Amino acid sequence: MRNISVLRQILTQFLFILLGSFVLLPIWGMIRLAFDGSLRGRPTEFFFFPKEWSFTPFLQVLDKPYQSVEFEVLLKNSLLTSAGAALFAILLGMSLAYAFARFRFYARKQGLFTILLTAFLPPVAFMTPLYIVLGMLQIRNTLFGLVLVYASFALPFCIWNMRAAFQSISKEIEEAAFLDGAGDFQTFQKITLPLALPSIGISGLIAFLMAYSEFAIGWLFVDKASNVTLAMSIYAMMQTQYSGGAQPWSYLGSLAIIMSIPVIIVFLIFQYTLLERMLFGSTE
Amino acid sequence: MNKNIFIRVIFIALVLFLAWNLRAHAVEKLNIDFDEDDYMRAGQEYTHLIRTSNWSGFLDTNYRPEHPPLAKIVIGLSLLSTPERDLIPDAPTTAQPNKNIPSDLIQPARTTNAIIGVLTVLLLTIINPVAGLALATHSLTIKYVSQVMLEAFPAFTSFVTVLAYLQFKKKEKKNWLVVSAIFLGLTAASKYLYCIIGIAILIDWFLESKSKQSFKLFFRQAFIWGFIAFAIFFVSNPYLWIDPIGRLQESIFYHAGYSSSAAEVENANFPFWQPFNWLFFTPMVWQRNAFLIAPDIWITFLAFIGLKHLWKRERVYVLWLGIALLFLLFWQTKWPQYIIILTVPLSLSAAEGITSLWNQLLEWWKNRRVQKTVVNKNEARRAIPWLVPGLIAFVIFTIFPLLFQFIVSMTDFNSASIRDGFQGGIWRAFWEGITGQIPISEWDGSRANKVRFTGLTTYPYVFEAIATGFGSSNSILFFNIMWAIVSVFLQSGLGLGVALLLQQRGVKLTKFWQALFILPWAIPEMIGALMWFNIFQEEWGWLYLAAKKFGDDSLFGLFVNNLENSSSLWLITFLLPALWYGFPFMMLAASTGLKFIPSEVYDASAMDGANRFQTFRYITFPLLLPLLLPAIIVRGIFAFNQFYLFQTFFYPVGTLATLSYNIFNPTGYFGSGEFATSAVINIITVLMLVVFVAMFNRWSKAEDGVTHA
Repeated sequence: MRNISVLRQILTQFLFILLGSFVLLPIWGMIRLAFDGSLRGRPTEFFFFPKEWSFTPFLQVLDKPYQSVEFEVLLKNSLLTSAGAALFAILLGMSLAYAFARFRFYARKQGLFTILLTAFLPPVAFMTPLYIVLGMLQIRNTLFGLVLVYASFALPFCIWNMRAAFQSISKEIEEAAFLDGAGDFQTFQKITLPLALPSIGISGLIAFLMAYSEFAIGWLFVDKASNVTLAMSIYAMMQTQYSGGAQPWSYLGSLAIIMSIPVIIVFLIFQYTLLERMLFGSTE
Repeated sequence: MNKNIFIRVIFIALVLFLAWNLRAHAVEKLNIDFDEDDYMRAGQEYTHLIRTSNWSGFLDTNYRPEHPPLAKIVIGLSLLSTPERDLIPDAPTTAQPNKNIPSDLIQPARTTNAIIGVLTVLLLTIINPVAGLALATHSLTIKYVSQVMLEAFPAFTSFVTVLAYLQFKKKEKKNWLVVSAIFLGLTAASKYLYCIIGIAILIDWFLESKSKQSFKLFFRQAFIWGFIAFAIFFVSNPYLWIDPIGRLQESIFYHAGYSSSAAEVENANFPFWQPFNWLFFTPMVWQRNAFLIAPDIWITFLAFIGLKHLWKRERVYVLWLGIALLFLLFWQTKWPQYIIILTVPLSLSAAEGITSLWNQLLEWWKNRRVQKTVVNKNEARRAIPWLVPGLIAFVIFTIFPLLFQFIVSMTDFNSASIRDGFQGGIWRAFWEGITGQIPISEWDGSRANKVRFTGLTTYPYVFEAIATGFGSSNSILFFNIMWAIVSVFLQSGLGLGVALLLQQRGVKLTKFWQALFILPWAIPEMIGALMWFNIFQEEWGWLYLAAKKFGDDSLFGLFVNNLENSSSLWLITFLLPALWYGFPFMMLAASTGLKFIPSEVYDASAMDGANRFQTFRYITFPLLLPLLLPAIIVRGIFAFNQFYLFQTFFYPVGTLATLSYNIFNPTGYFGSGEFATSAVINIITVLMLVVFVAMFNRWSKAEDGVTHA
């Protein structure tokens, strides 16, 4: 195949510019708000560039973003819950996935089907009952409760994913180790785990991201201001803004941007691996 | 053989009995609806002409001249045995229905229509008894053939038109063609809309002649057929005799004008997909006592399943259904009675759906006995320590909540009984109800401070509510399905297109563009939705501010005005963000897939002289589709569950949102704090997803078989 002609090159680039503007338009809308120091509430007038370029919204939002809770606390809560959720999802998911990948036991197929099914259920479906479960376990309103809830959302997905990874590791290697007298756990630890580590890492990352950007469910379980995560605080801010809240919209914009940046970096680095996991991992 | 015929006759008799009773019941109970008074007056005029033998009066009589007179003459004939009454007063089309029509006029007119409706059922039952059963029970059909409307007669004649055409196709006898043409003419002389059957027949006929390479014969016969139909139309339409062209124009232009400017059409403000909403609807929500059963939505589902088989068996019915739906999607007037033009093929398709479901069930049952799962006792024992911790978590956080939701769905738990419920009332009510200690108290939306056991009685209410959009005819269920299909279709289309553009050899800056296009995928969904809300919000959204600044005549102003006046355009405010958010994923998936296609394939096709389109159509696309399909299905299910977008958009109308949104925000007549109805929506959603995932699972297994073979 030859290289494309100049005309096609121009046409292609033109289409890309169009699509690029479609992609950037809403993002720019947010940036424009975030960097505008002149806003005193909602925007009331159309303007394409910020009226008054300024970093103050960022500085102010970093100071006291939500109900006098420090930004560091929000960030810490977000990171703690996300990391905790990822850890739980990996640990619990790993052992289940390994069992499903390696051992033939009763009702294995039905079990797998159930897990695949729950991976496709909307998280909202679990809202009310989880409220009660957390209440019974006395961990409602705590970060630990949120960790468990988010871990349970990511769990089916992690199981599905890691099972595929474990299955792709040849059974013969494990059996050799097993015959040498290593127990199941030792075999897993010495042989399977290192080989499957990349998949496990990606599963954890996805669990982390799921927890990082969840807000609606979390909002039901936490009403103590000091246990609020970043995503939840953005949602709360949004709701007060809708009802005519006093904070400038720039705060919302800058907080949203601050929250998105780490995720964007992660996605740009891992794009193909993430895609493969989200896609082909779930269909094997 | 004789026994079979006997059973068939008994079945047909039963269906007819059912059809007649349901329609007779509706004739008796239905309230006077819009248009009934108008057509009653039109019928009365004809009755008067016949009684006074004033035959020349037919030339100038056609009350509501937008519809040709034949179906009105039928109404007139049915009134001959009734006492002479004053004409129903003239009223504009916007007026409320006239409730004062004497019942000795309304009953015979309605009964005549109902009898014609039963005749349609009879014909259908002879062809396919199950389809006859579907049509006999279809509540929307029952309503509009049991009223003084113009539907029953043309529905019957248009069906005869097809039947006669099919006889002609099978036996090649021209007599049948003449019959078909005559009935098409009668259909046209009753209501124009039903003539879409003519288009379906012509297409089928054309395809048939294409396979036989006999175009000349087709054109000659079709011309004669059309000519006879038109002649019959003219003969049975005396109102046209004096000034044919003028009056024909008048009636046709009326419809064009009516659909684009009539006040009642604008007030109804139906979205373009309203015909589908009607297919998910049942008039039972308007008047409970007039209908005994409402299987409409199930007939629609079954019809969808049966389409493929019906196409194989008799193409013309699918064409009929398809063209009718397509026409109704584009036609701006979307009254519910228009659905009657397609309920016959719909019923036939539903019958095919039942047959194919039944066959699949049999097949599954046979295969089930063959399959044996391999269980190794030693391995099962070794698996226990690996399973226990994860299973405990899985049971507590996933299985238990689902079970709990199911239990709540069988109670009337709501915000009034919240204290009792959380203190064990839910369990108590469920346990006492299930063991029969307390009677089932049917769910009626009332609230008490103790949780009550409702059994499964809430399900029909809630299902009806989501299917009919709380009776508003904006089906949430259909919206949800349409949303999943349309948004994923757009995402895949754009994603594939961009991937193909990026893949061209020698394109500059591909790395940069790809990184840019991935951005929306990387932004958390809620923030993305917020960014778009920032554009579409009604007071301070960018678009609205722009409209304010540049005036109503600017591009922005026009867009905003259209957005506010159209329920269809609202969809765009959701589709754009979904497209924005979803296409990068599909783009990446398509790029990955394209890498698997070896370049030799392209070289070979270039050697064969294929152009770009042909290469795509016959090489790239078929090779890529199996790789893309998992992505499409996964994204489809996510779109079906889409929640954060609708939640962030804060749009107050719950019918333009997914079921997930409605679980979180129970609206409509459920009110807030109705945990039980929310749980029911939840369980229904889960059940639907079970069906989707089972289909998906089956499909991926079939795919495995292909790749391993």
